[in-house]
Amino acid sequence: MSRLFPNALHVARREYLSRVRGRAFVITTVLLALVVGAVTMVPTIVAALGVADPPQFAVYTEAEDLVADPVLTIQGALAAAADPSADPAAPPADDDPSGDRPRVTRADDPDAAARAVRDGDLDALLTITRDAEGELAFEFLGSASPTNGTRLLITQAATALTIGDRLVRTGIGAQEAAALFQPPTFVTTPVDPDDSRDEADFGGAFILAYALVILMFMAILTYGNWVAQSVAEEKSGRVMELLVTAATPRQLLTGKVLGAGAAGLTQYLAIIGASIIGFVANGPAAEALGVDGNSPLTLPDLGLAVLPAFAAFFLLGFTLYCTLYAAAGSMVSRIEDVQQAAGPLIFLSMAGYFASFAALNDPDANWVGVLSHVPFFSPYLMPARMLLTSVGGVEVVVALTTLLITLIAAMWLASRIYSAGVLMYGQRAGLRAIWRATRVAR
Amino acid sequence: MVRVALLVDSITKRFGSVVALDGVSFTVEPGQIFGLLGANGAGKTTSMRIVLDILRADSGRITWQGAENTTLPRRTWGYLPEERGLYPRMRVGEQLRFFAALYGVPDTQSSEEIGDWLERFRITDYLDRKVEELSKGNQQKIQFISAILHDPEVLIMDEPFTGLDPVNVRLLKEAFLAMRDRGKTLIFSTHQMETVEELCESIAIVDRGRVVVSGAVRDVKRAMGRQVVRLATEGGTHGVDWLRSTPGVELTAERADYVELHIPTNQDPETILRIALDRGDRVTRFEIAEPSLEQIFVEHVGRRAVEESEEHLASLPREVSA
Repeated sequence: MSRLFPNALHVARREYLSRVRGRAFVITTVLLALVVGAVTMVPTIVAALGVADPPQFAVYTEAEDLVADPVLTIQGALAAAADPSADPAAPPADDDPSGDRPRVTRADDPDAAARAVRDGDLDALLTITRDAEGELAFEFLGSASPTNGTRLLITQAATALTIGDRLVRTGIGAQEAAALFQPPTFVTTPVDPDDSRDEADFGGAFILAYALVILMFMAILTYGNWVAQSVAEEKSGRVMELLVTAATPRQLLTGKVLGAGAAGLTQYLAIIGASIIGFVANGPAAEALGVDGNSPLTLPDLGLAVLPAFAAFFLLGFTLYCTLYAAAGSMVSRIEDVQQAAGPLIFLSMAGYFASFAALNDPDANWVGVLSHVPFFSPYLMPARMLLTSVGGVEVVVALTTLLITLIAAMWLASRIYSAGVLMYGQRAGLRAIWRATRVAR
Repeated sequence: MVRVALLVDSITKRFGSVVALDGVSFTVEPGQIFGLLGANGAGKTTSMRIVLDILRADSGRITWQGAENTTLPRRTWGYLPEERGLYPRMRVGEQLRFFAALYGVPDTQSSEEIGDWLERFRITDYLDRKVEELSKGNQQKIQFISAILHDPEVLIMDEPFTGLDPVNVRLLKEAFLAMRDRGKTLIFSTHQMETVEELCESIAIVDRGRVVVSGAVRDVKRAMGRQVVRLATEGGTHGVDWLRSTPGVELTAERADYVELHIPTNQDPETILRIALDRGDRVTRFEIAEPSLEQIFVEHVGRRAVEESEEHLASLPREVSA
């Protein structure tokens, strides 16, 4: 048996260079990097364009005897929605002109305020009156759209005001009424005592898990297809016969996967680099423009051991799929047939993709645990589980080992298919024919 | 060092229910140019691929210098496949260095060789051109260079002359002889019998997966048991009807200016001359020759195969089907 290197590296080098020197590669990479970089800067761009100007409201009240200040209550409800971590009892935002907190003011002249709403100077006017039976009545002048988030929040604030008012009228003191609305003490203790992640961490983790699943899926579909196309091209261009004389199928297959994979990762790194630049530049850029462009995304605090595990899952999973894509490419004689031959692989990677979306909503489910150990799905599911729940180190190692063993088996099988497939021309590449051929191949 | 021949010993190969090779055997002496002749589908390409170990035979064995071909390093062989294939968008120099590197030749060494060969083929300007920009003939030269850069001991070429113009055929023939002078062994398949006559010391004729005849060209010709006589008389070809009734004579071609006939080896060709002179004909040409490879080929493989290959290539001399 011939040694794998250096021939696999020669093949990989050729593949990589011919890929990254291509005009299509350069254009796609630059465009994708620009788009992704721009997306990470969206908060600043939006703020700079003034789209995110804080809403302005006026409250006019005829019921002067309210226990709670309606301005403060509404202010609190809106502020809490805009920034859940903010203290709802914080002072009004009048002194914060650059902030994105909604501004609520008390109107003295209802007619003038209504005109201001119609002219667009104010976003909405809430008029509070007391009817004949003493019940509070609210009138909202503003957008009638039922999905108007602001109106929903104001409805909630109105409900709170009404209940408080009713309580006071039944004889409960203002202080007791306020105490009734205090939220309960609710503490979550993770099973894993080392798990120190809080609510905000999980928000970021969720987004990161989505990102990982999508990155995995896109890598398999795009770059796996590159591998298959490239093999089919060599076959249809008949350069394959020279290649198999000069190198073993194993060398060719390994080189092909390494080269095309490295080209794909180069594109990925360019895109990830652009997103990091955008992410980092977002703050300074916003400051320079004098706007508030804080990104809503906070990265979870990840342990150092987790990142190499993610990288391992990504690389092994990616290589596994690419290897099988190469075998698929070697079974067809024409480039047009690549998609058909790669069909089962596309199906498999789609299954992993959709399963991981279901898993993200219920990461502790039994089936997620089981599937996260199955080779073709573990690259999707295990990193997602690691982000969203507590996964033992042993589980990760077992899943990685299984994945590695599967990869080795796949490489063996793929080079058999490859050595049989590369010289089969014009035949319909049935699995049966391929299997028969693998038994007589080298 | 005693050099041992390439021995192809009763190899058999089936593809499904089709028997591609049915006990093919032949011997190629080291340092020779060897011709593999046969119609399309006779099994030439399959034989070559099995020698190169890119296909495995169902049975039989192949040895070179006494070693099984499956144990020999890949750089033993140089291969020019029938279906030409190079990376179309890769530059000539880069491409040649890539293939040489696969055989373990360092770039510095291959660059020098590439320069020499491009000069020999008069295409030095193309070093940095993309292959797709080259004409077919020039691509074929590049392909030939890619087959020999690693200095293989045995060069195996499938239809190397197809699609080349006469000038390039000449250049390639010269390259063959240069390789032989370096002590290389060359095996090639072709439909062009004149090329075989010109270059090959030994041949094998393959038909439907079997070798029908093989050996040194001289022996093959002798073994045919016939000699060729070309005769022209002043009466043109009209006055030669008497030949048809002469025992042992087989009229094989009637041209405007001469006739060609076969007589058994045990018959003295001069008897033909004597009869002609006795008849009072003025003989303007009398020539004794060995049968051509073409005639041997037709004799062994049959007209059918020849016509088939002619349809495909239109490269055979016209006389065969005349």
